[in-house]
Amino acid sequence: MRLVTTFTLLASLAVAAVDYSSSLTQGKADMKSAGSLAFGPDGILFVGDSVGAAVFAIDTQDRKPGKGSGTVEIAGINEKIAALLGTAADQILVNDMAVNPLSKNVYLSVSRGKGPDAIPVIVRAGHSGKLEEVSLDKVKHSRAGLPNPVEAKKDARGNNLRMDSITDLAYVDGKVFVAGLSNEEFSSNLRSIPFPFKAVENGTSVEIYHGQHGRFETNSPVRTFVPYEIKSESYLLAAYTCTPLVKFPVASLKPGTKVMGTTIAELGNRNRPLDMVIYQKSGHDFILMNNSSRGVMKMSAENLDKFEPIKSQTELQGVKYETIAGLKGVEQLDKLDKENALMLVRNDGGSLDLKTVALP
Amino acid sequence: MPFLTALLPAPRFLTPVLLALIVLAPLLAAEHTVRLDGPVFRVSGGPARCEDFAVSVDAPGEIPALNGTCAAEAGGLSFRPKYPLQPGLRYRAVYRGAVSVFEIPKPVVAPSTVVDRVYPSSATIPENILKFYLHFSAPMNRGEAYRHLRLLDGSGAPVALPFLEIDQELWDREARRLTVLFDPGRIKRGLVPNEEVGLPIRAGGKYTLVIDAGWQDAAGLPLKQEFRKAFRAVESDRIPPDPKTWTLTAPAAGRREPLALEFPEPMDHALLLGLIEVTSRAGRPIEGSVDVDREEMRWRFTPAEPWKPGEYAIQVGRTIEDRAGNTIGRPFDVDVFERVEERISRETVPVHFTVR
Repeated sequence: MRLVTTFTLLASLAVAAVDYSSSLTQGKADMKSAGSLAFGPDGILFVGDSVGAAVFAIDTQDRKPGKGSGTVEIAGINEKIAALLGTAADQILVNDMAVNPLSKNVYLSVSRGKGPDAIPVIVRAGHSGKLEEVSLDKVKHSRAGLPNPVEAKKDARGNNLRMDSITDLAYVDGKVFVAGLSNEEFSSNLRSIPFPFKAVENGTSVEIYHGQHGRFETNSPVRTFVPYEIKSESYLLAAYTCTPLVKFPVASLKPGTKVMGTTIAELGNRNRPLDMVIYQKSGHDFILMNNSSRGVMKMSAENLDKFEPIKSQTELQGVKYETIAGLKGVEQLDKLDKENALMLVRNDGGSLDLKTVALP
Repeated sequence: MPFLTALLPAPRFLTPVLLALIVLAPLLAAEHTVRLDGPVFRVSGGPARCEDFAVSVDAPGEIPALNGTCAAEAGGLSFRPKYPLQPGLRYRAVYRGAVSVFEIPKPVVAPSTVVDRVYPSSATIPENILKFYLHFSAPMNRGEAYRHLRLLDGSGAPVALPFLEIDQELWDREARRLTVLFDPGRIKRGLVPNEEVGLPIRAGGKYTLVIDAGWQDAAGLPLKQEFRKAFRAVESDRIPPDPKTWTLTAPAAGRREPLALEFPEPMDHALLLGLIEVTSRAGRPIEGSVDVDREEMRWRFTPAEPWKPGEYAIQVGRTIEDRAGNTIGRPFDVDVFERVEERISRETVPVHFTVR
């Protein structure tokens, strides 16, 4: 019996190893918009399509380690992407950026056009600085539709105005986590979708609160989050629309449950965290975070398990942070490798530079 | 260096693909000429090879060639760019080193897009208001909302950062309605932004929401005019909507007269349209159309067919909000020490009525 079980286990592992590509089909990835990006296993790129209410898994076929210098520098990348797409820089939007952890090539989601007819495009930047469009016409892909939590109703003109914007994506332990923000009701909307996507699997929604920091709790939307392990348990560190940084265990995110997150830091008012990365340096764990108005912050990611949740306003302390000098206008942030972060920086002239910056 | 020899006048209302071209000094290789035929570049004058031809945006520096479909054809080749050419831009077509530059004229069109409506429509607004809905008369461009939105106080000075400025601007699919959230961190009690800088607006104050005319619509044109909505802030609203306080006017059988539901306070405009459904007693949806008026204090439903006598229900989504984000049985920020929250497990709350 044990032998049989072992064989079954081995067989299922073997199946799991090939499942990624076998779950994908060759053809046109019919996305209506390209927003949040996240890499999964084996060069699979997840793309959030808010307009099409879906998450796409795209096989980039980009699995070989890069040969370049290890850094990527492209000044005026928005102008170069616009030229590649045959248009002007003021006619595109660069929506998100993700580094392929295998090849270290950089992927950017772009809208060609800014109106409702904008064309979604994925652009790859190599270490040589070369930009190329990733074909979405002939690509191995799969799509997971996100169910509308509210039955679609139409207005007098026959339009359904309700839409969820996908604010962030992450792949953790075989699941794609999708944070959404509705343009109508104000509520938490975090879904987990097992990958490979199954035809019938539409994901599950969890209500998340962050009430342990004070007297008041709100069922508030998550804006950005990053997976992290604390003592071999997977957590999400999440920034909410109404308070900065909260942790909750991935295992607690079960459909239909009410999950209480633990506020670990409030990072000052009039500020929005944009992206977060976790990294190790000299044997210690850190979080690097770019913000709308408070530059790039570095904070210790150690002892998060020991950290006492903030229970009232007067006890507010939280994780200490330092602001990294000289880094301004950082709109996108991702980890390039063990030593470097990749940043999309808005320069004084208004254009965007892709820069490699040593992790502080 | 190529020079301009002719510029055809740009007619109004042109689609990019039908635009005429500027003919520039053709330093073309031998007998070949390049022209722009609608959306397609054509090389003519003899057999031509696709690998000898490239089109790019006409700009200094190393500019990548456009993607597209190239095909050799009788007496030359054709190249169709993957994406439409951009009005106002110049493109450089190179055939075997010879350069032709084409400018795509930009049609001259007068701005016509306006702000149609803003919700809440009332002249008084609770100081813990959660959102505005801005309705435009035509689709808009994304990516510049917060540059064109200001909230002025009674003295005309701008209120600092009243809104949650998020990259994913909360448009509808047609980009005609934008949802603008007030910074929830300043509204929710107990948070640092609420404690330190407080609510963006204060009861008793007069405010004006200003949408400036520089905001571009999807055609790249500014708005026809600036839009202003003046309002007065009143005390915070922390009372969840309660169906027991709503007034229902049941219609008579045999006619298509509207069923009306009236609320003691204005409700969220979008959610009034989206979260209320009329069903038969058995739960079967009744077809009809909805309108909202009286400053979002009245919801009316006109059935597609005349009412039949019987029992009906209005199913109201539990997450329906008032202007301050309070939902049925749950205030926006729940005081966990004095919890009065009534647990409601149902997704909808029924309001029953009879048609006689």
